[in-house]
Amino acid sequence: MLQVQNVEKYYGSKNNVTKALDRISFEVRRGEFIAIMGASGSGKTTLLNCISTIDTVSAGNILLDGENVTEISGSELAKFRRERLGFIFQDFNLLDTLTLEENIGIALTINHADPKSVQGNVREVAHQLGIVDALEKFPYQVSGGQKQRAACARAMVAGQSLILADEPTGALDSKSSKSLLEIMTGMNQNSGATILMVTHDAYSASYASRILFLKDGRLFNELIRGERSRQVFYHETLDVLALLGGDVSDLL
Amino acid sequence: MTFSKLSARNAKRQARDYLVYFVTIVMAAALIYAFNGLVFSEEIRNLSHFLDSLPLIIVLASTVIICIVGWLVSYTTRFMLTKRSRELGTYVLLGMENKQVARLFFQENLMVGGIAIVCGTLLGNLLFQALRAVTLALFHVPYTFSFSFSIGAVLLTAAYFALIYLFALRRSLRRINRMKIYDLLYLDRQNENEAVKKSGRRRILFVVSIILGIIGTVLLLLRNLMLGIIGAALIIAFLYGFFLSFSSGVPDYFDKRPAKKFAGNNLLIFRSLASKLTTMGVIMATIAVLFTATLIAEGTGMVFNALFQSRTEQTTCFDIYIASNGWEEASLDDYMAYIDENIDVRADYRYGVYAADNDTVTQYVEANSDYWRNFEFDTLMAMSDYLALREMLGYSTVEVLDGQYIIHCQPYLEGLMSSYNKPLTVDGYEMAPGKVYTEHFTQSLWDGNGRGFILVVPNEALTTRPVIHRTYAAMTETPLSEATATAISDIRDAKDKSIAGYDTVFIKAAIQAENASMYAMIIFPLFYLALVLTMVAVTILTIQLLSDTDRYQRQYALLDNLGMERREMERSLFRQFAIFYAMPTLPSLLISLPFIFALGSALDAGVLTGIGQLWAIVGITLTLFFAIYIVYVFAAYTSYRKNVLPSR
Repeated sequence: MLQVQNVEKYYGSKNNVTKALDRISFEVRRGEFIAIMGASGSGKTTLLNCISTIDTVSAGNILLDGENVTEISGSELAKFRRERLGFIFQDFNLLDTLTLEENIGIALTINHADPKSVQGNVREVAHQLGIVDALEKFPYQVSGGQKQRAACARAMVAGQSLILADEPTGALDSKSSKSLLEIMTGMNQNSGATILMVTHDAYSASYASRILFLKDGRLFNELIRGERSRQVFYHETLDVLALLGGDVSDLL
Repeated sequence: MTFSKLSARNAKRQARDYLVYFVTIVMAAALIYAFNGLVFSEEIRNLSHFLDSLPLIIVLASTVIICIVGWLVSYTTRFMLTKRSRELGTYVLLGMENKQVARLFFQENLMVGGIAIVCGTLLGNLLFQALRAVTLALFHVPYTFSFSFSIGAVLLTAAYFALIYLFALRRSLRRINRMKIYDLLYLDRQNENEAVKKSGRRRILFVVSIILGIIGTVLLLLRNLMLGIIGAALIIAFLYGFFLSFSSGVPDYFDKRPAKKFAGNNLLIFRSLASKLTTMGVIMATIAVLFTATLIAEGTGMVFNALFQSRTEQTTCFDIYIASNGWEEASLDDYMAYIDENIDVRADYRYGVYAADNDTVTQYVEANSDYWRNFEFDTLMAMSDYLALREMLGYSTVEVLDGQYIIHCQPYLEGLMSSYNKPLTVDGYEMAPGKVYTEHFTQSLWDGNGRGFILVVPNEALTTRPVIHRTYAAMTETPLSEATATAISDIRDAKDKSIAGYDTVFIKAAIQAENASMYAMIIFPLFYLALVLTMVAVTILTIQLLSDTDRYQRQYALLDNLGMERREMERSLFRQFAIFYAMPTLPSLLISLPFIFALGSALDAGVLTGIGQLWAIVGITLTLFFAIYIVYVFAAYTSYRKNVLPSR
């Protein structure tokens, strides 16, 4: 469903060019749960931003359901994002003046959904993610885990086909992280959501079915979980990270 | 880097970050200086003795202004203290004493204030010239530019500002002195957890306050002093109650109607407003109270101005008008003696106003318009007198037909009189209705040329009618001096003691001077207050909004990510803006407009030319108010749009 073809991204001026992404190519199939790993500065967030059309590529193509997102015009981009993409951010990015219900509902409002159906849809998704009791509360009144689940709900409530998650467990304690990752796995397996998650945490990545490793803007390695247990997959991930070198101590 | 350099740099940054605040302080200083200029101006004081109390009134108005500007400075410095506490905390962390930080903060604020006074004084000089020009024009004195730099005005302005800053900064300084590093470093976080509270009590308050507001407005309209005061108190209670409970009342409304909540941009708009009001309900309410007071003051001032103007116009068609109810022909002789000797008269005329033997026309007018009678009979004037007076006044000649009577009335009775088509009988002498004239003819008081109207009849009809007052009217070569006017009034006063009754003296020059003075003493201070009030209030609103720039920026960046269209973001931002600024003005308008209309319609009939003039008063009041308001709102909106919406 998603094809990334020879994507390059440069920053800076003529004399001082930084290559953030260097000829990256990969493919994501419908219903996959993919993690992209790498140390700080490896280019993983840049890659995510390019896929999400928040940032533009310097060269290469990104195809979502056959449509080249790098060629979509400015006015169509917003429509593309609200209809096709769901976002989950490290710092939740909920609006602090809205209740959780409204934070989830806003994705539907932006999509011009029928106002009468919004509340029902929100409650249905909230039920799946176990945050029905917190719907009336404001973000500052609930835990980080609940906030991130609300963000997950927002990312899928409008029926978006690809969910992009940027370090979703970055601001959570280990217990909340675990429960969030289980929920994301559930979203992937039960609701068939395609998830692309960027992380530098091997534990989070081990929930994915496939892991791509980025180093200095290049695709370095790929791990596929297959039939292995999550624990085994986790250890393999750590081995790859050891190979990546340098940053291992940061990662553990 | 020395402390003073650091202060200077911070002051510069403060002026840039809080440009709206700085502009308002400069404008306030300019206005204060300009009005102080009036206080110290010999030239203005010499215009008329009616202006003797102008300095006192301006000083009183300035006292109120000091309080309001003091509020602004105090509010803004506390606000800046919260925003900049981390920076100040860092100074303490680096080893500065609290006292030194406080001094730093004090110095930079004083510097901003000082620069504001200097700029304000320069600008104030221009404003003073404008005020001077208006005042001179009011007194019909030609304006010539003369640069006047009044050291008294500068010192008084500086003294006012010293007071403002000392009071306003005291609190902030004490706060810095007592603060621990931790508090300073994390003061700006305190607001982040501000709750959007929901509670049943607030909901009740919301409903109760609206009821109080309606009762209060009705009481205010009843024009009874005691009830009016109660009404004003209720309205203040309403405004505070309303703004304190609004943040729960409106979300409650939407919570019960999810379909409305999730329609369009409603969600974003009402939620961000509600959260804003939770933190600034009291300020919003205070601003609404100030706005209400401003609008009522402006409107009242305009209505009174209309009253003075109409009185002048209606009583001063002659340069001198004296009416005596001593019936003898000789009753005006003492005035004549003085006038013949001292005044250069171009034309004059002595005549009598007569009583008819019935009150048919008075009854008609009384029944069909807003009119109260002074006499048990209609008042009459001889045709020859009328024609002579018209000629003296330079009015058009009238067509006189045998056997007809003419009606001369105040403009507001014209329609009514034109449709009066009954013949008139005086002592058996019958006349058909003739034309109706409405030029100014000194008809507003009982001893004018009739009250409201006079019936002009052929001389033959008056042979046996009694005179009710003897009258002298004159046009002079040059406007009379104040001294001459006083001398004539003195004759009247001396006479009043000796005879029963009261002579009426209208001297155009004196009435105009008095009217101009009233204008200067009522309208000037009112608009001085209104201007400063509006500027301060809208500045505080703007600072509040601009302080949220970061949060809104994050909000719109997120909405952009989520795929909201730019057009929709613009619309939502505009609506948030419009509602935010309209909030405090709407209740004020709802209260003050009915009040102004009620006051206007309470005036004597004929004072205002009609409902049109009342609308004009309301229009001018609103224009003055909103002109300033809109300039600020527009400036804030432009900068906000640029900073808040994602650039792509």
